[in-house]
Amino acid sequence: MTTPSALTPANPTADAEDSPSGDRSRRRPAKPVPRSPLGRVGNAVAVTVLMVFTVLPVYWMVTTAFDPRANSRGSSPLPSGFTLDHFRFVFDEGGFGPFLLNSLLIAIGTVLLAGLLALLAAVAVARFVFRFRTAVLVMVLIIQMVPLEALVIPLFVQMRNLEMLNSLLGLTIVYLAFSLPFAIWMLRGFVAAVPKEVEEAAYLDGCGWPRMFRSVLLPLVAPGLIATSVFSFIVAWNEFIFAFTFLQDESKFTAAVGLHRFFGQHTNDWGPVMAGSTLITLPVLVFFVLAQRKLSNGLAAGAVKG
Amino acid sequence: MATEAPAPRRPRPTETAGKQSRPPLPPAAARRARRRAGAPWLLLAPALLAVAGLLLWPLTRVLWMSVQDYGLPEIVSGDTNYVGLDNYTEILGDAYLWQTVLPNTLGFAFACVALTVVLGTLVALLLQRLGPLWRTITGSAIMMAWAMPAVTGTYVWIWLFDPLSGAVVGGLDSLGVVDAGDTNWFTSRLGFYAIATLNVVHHSFPFVAITVFAGLLTIPKELHEAAIVDGANAWQRFWSITVPTIKPIFMVVIILSTIWDFKVFVQLYLMPGGSGANRDVLNLGVWSYVESFAQRQYGMGSAIAVLLTLLLLGVTVVYIRTLFKESEEL
Repeated sequence: MTTPSALTPANPTADAEDSPSGDRSRRRPAKPVPRSPLGRVGNAVAVTVLMVFTVLPVYWMVTTAFDPRANSRGSSPLPSGFTLDHFRFVFDEGGFGPFLLNSLLIAIGTVLLAGLLALLAAVAVARFVFRFRTAVLVMVLIIQMVPLEALVIPLFVQMRNLEMLNSLLGLTIVYLAFSLPFAIWMLRGFVAAVPKEVEEAAYLDGCGWPRMFRSVLLPLVAPGLIATSVFSFIVAWNEFIFAFTFLQDESKFTAAVGLHRFFGQHTNDWGPVMAGSTLITLPVLVFFVLAQRKLSNGLAAGAVKG
Repeated sequence: MATEAPAPRRPRPTETAGKQSRPPLPPAAARRARRRAGAPWLLLAPALLAVAGLLLWPLTRVLWMSVQDYGLPEIVSGDTNYVGLDNYTEILGDAYLWQTVLPNTLGFAFACVALTVVLGTLVALLLQRLGPLWRTITGSAIMMAWAMPAVTGTYVWIWLFDPLSGAVVGGLDSLGVVDAGDTNWFTSRLGFYAIATLNVVHHSFPFVAITVFAGLLTIPKELHEAAIVDGANAWQRFWSITVPTIKPIFMVVIILSTIWDFKVFVQLYLMPGGSGANRDVLNLGVWSYVESFAQRQYGMGSAIAVLLTLLLLGVTVVYIRTLFKESEEL
């Protein structure tokens, strides 16, 4: 998949790098050894180089978007001034407002549907022992490897026959299917991390399964659901091939497709192109950072440990 | 789904209990567990239906289309036009596949995987050497590289390397290395792929860094201390302690990166000339797409897509075996 297919499937908490979650503290990770002055200088140089490489594209994009003379900027590290003209231009001329709204609708639909279906499926594979359970899991793994390029041709024909090519709903359903395998895989780990004893205690207190699910399991896997939602949101928000192939009616364009069309019309007009890019990138960045903290907090609070 | 508590009990002794050796449940829970034998399939049904309808069924369709001469007329009429393996023999007999597309796909994927894993591992080792504050700052910065959408990231790299007014050409011009306006890296195959590699590595090294860093934290520090006492330097400790201890993690990130980098599409398609205008720079995925949607040769495009899928399936089998070896029980 072309998205930042976050986190390793084998380890759903891998990105909670600094969270003092149980495993880490118990195994006593190697503490940073006190360094010689030379080592500290080495660290500083390495961090600087890494930061420049990592942040450069985002920095260049945002500063160009606000630069009144973006095209003649060359390699000057600072923009020549500050203007909102490029943003005004992409909203007025580029029609980015509706594009962003379409993307948002699709992303929210995908997040809600994928969260619900993946949670049900994750409970099934993490909590029940049944025939073909391993087969289901292996299928979920394999299906993630299928290249989108192989699916876009038959799905285009299929959606064309169903007359859903220009439909946001059609695209939502497709993205649901793309985000499901990974979401199931990830949530499975979170559900499995909830101790059985907690559930059993709820049964002993007289809860039925639905009540236990709602009042015990759901709150405990909430951090996992958030992580899954971030993933599904990013899949839907960033996806390009299918949106580009399916949507022909301009009023239905997603932001990514709108940017592509806009770039085609205003090539070398870098201020507005970067303003459009900024509008698409920022929600993902904000979402990512917020969810990141929330996820770490959830783990740190020990909710998952029970 | 499961019924409420007071429903009559139907004992089904063969289910669930015998399959795993886990401590016996309290009687009430055990009874409920038995009663819920059909529940997993009910819970799985919606997800399985979506996956079957939108992933498995299209896969069989793409196989079916790959043995047809399927163009616009067939799409409109829905007729079949069976041609056997003609599409495959045409592709496999085409020098273009062997001299351009396959080298592009394999070389690009190999370069991306190698650079991603090396850079990601170096960053993970760096993170381990930093104090908590700088670790958080650096970690957040690489998260930003990770979160950057492929579409907008690609446009930023195009802008940075723009032949007329881009930052790179501007900087090199002021140093007198190249002349702005005379240099266009996007037209040469090597330049095109160098920029694409930079783009893909920038986007995918954070995943490797975070995963390997999580792995590094699991290595008991006594191992390193013992090695230091024995006089091992950092390089020796890395190869004889770190790598063997977290080998499974390295396997997983290498294989996942391989799978992702084989099917890179957006980062190539959106680059100047990448959408078919420059036939020298297509990889399997983009070729399949261009053949289908620009040339309207859906059958031919499907056959190329099937070849790409088979290639990835091979990598996937290795991946699954590694995963199974790593954890006894899925």
